[in-house]
Amino acid sequence: MKDLTHRTACRTVASAAVLLLGVAIVPPLAGAAGLRGTAVGNESVTSASWGVTASVTTMTFTTNTDQTSNVTNNGTVALVAESYSVTVSNPAGTPTFKAFQCAVAWVSTKCSGGAGTQVGGTLSKNSTTTITSTTAMAVSGLLYLQVEPATVTASTVVTISTKIAAPSQLRAAVKTNQ
Amino acid sequence: MSKHHHAVSKGGAGYGKIAVAGLLATSVGLLATAGVYAGLSATATGSESVTSGTLNMTLTADGTSSGFSTFTPKMAPGDSDNVYVNINNTGTLASAAGMTLAVAGSPLNALTNGSVAGEGLTLTATQCSVTWTVATGVCSGTTTSILANTQLSALSTATALSNVPALVAATGQLAHVQFSLGLVATETSTNGVAPGSTIQGLTAALTFTFTEQQRTGVVTNQ
Repeated sequence: MKDLTHRTACRTVASAAVLLLGVAIVPPLAGAAGLRGTAVGNESVTSASWGVTASVTTMTFTTNTDQTSNVTNNGTVALVAESYSVTVSNPAGTPTFKAFQCAVAWVSTKCSGGAGTQVGGTLSKNSTTTITSTTAMAVSGLLYLQVEPATVTASTVVTISTKIAAPSQLRAAVKTNQ
Repeated sequence: MSKHHHAVSKGGAGYGKIAVAGLLATSVGLLATAGVYAGLSATATGSESVTSGTLNMTLTADGTSSGFSTFTPKMAPGDSDNVYVNINNTGTLASAAGMTLAVAGSPLNALTNGSVAGEGLTLTATQCSVTWTVATGVCSGTTTSILANTQLSALSTATALSNVPALVAATGQLAHVQFSLGLVATETSTNGVAPGSTIQGLTAALTFTFTEQQRTGVVTNQ
């Protein structure tokens, strides 16, 4: 009973202290802020992703036989250009390479019976060169590359790395009013 | 023993008489005093009626806009998501000149937190003197910038909007505001893979919180 009385007294003192503190703090805040109105709106957005993949990224040439690689737009936004960083190893001899693209699959080294469209210039051994195609690619679209060697006398490795830079290689910006 | 008891009883009765007499005297005194104080009394009554004002703000879609909602297309760098909203002063009090806007993103990611330098969402707010033509995004009246193009990461804390005159003037006013969300990015993806720190392929639920203050207090003498 004594303990209960003691606790009640402590609680009363504590409550009084809290009340005093509240009285001391609240008036200045209320005086400074007055009434405040708020309104809330919610909007959800998602960003696109961009990039292309090449089905074959490393080609080893021991003869002058063409090799192909399929390029896919694996992003969520259409493209207006694609870049390839092409590295040629440093074998004996003086091999050179050219890259061509076609909108359809290559058949017997021909693009719809033609040569296709050359991308960039002639690539020499022991070099890394960035070449760029300005072909538009839809989302999930495909392009067909063909690397055509010349004067290969020793095993030569050609490595292809795709690069898509924003915003210059993405479709034109779109303004949506909703 | 009995004698002693009698003496004691007799003495107690004497004290009792004295006590009763004292109480009577005191009561008479008190009553007399109270009578003096209660005798005169005067009251006056005045009535004053007051009603407190309200400070309310609501958001509604402007024109044919759907207002704040979900932007379904995936935003590419340079894209704009323009939303048209009325900020309505629906209370009975005018607001003060200042109004703030804070934008919170959930979940926190590179679209809104500035973790990829120079990239992420941006926001511009423009007021039109009349309803916006949503289909074209054109204001046929006069436009006033209330927020210059700002990285959303800079709006995580309440930021003052400028020039919101329609809401300041009086109650019942509204402001026709275009909120233009943009995306800035300068990333290069290699072999179909985004860089380690990227704004690509992210979703953010944005909460726009507008806050207004009441007009300055008025002293009325009447």
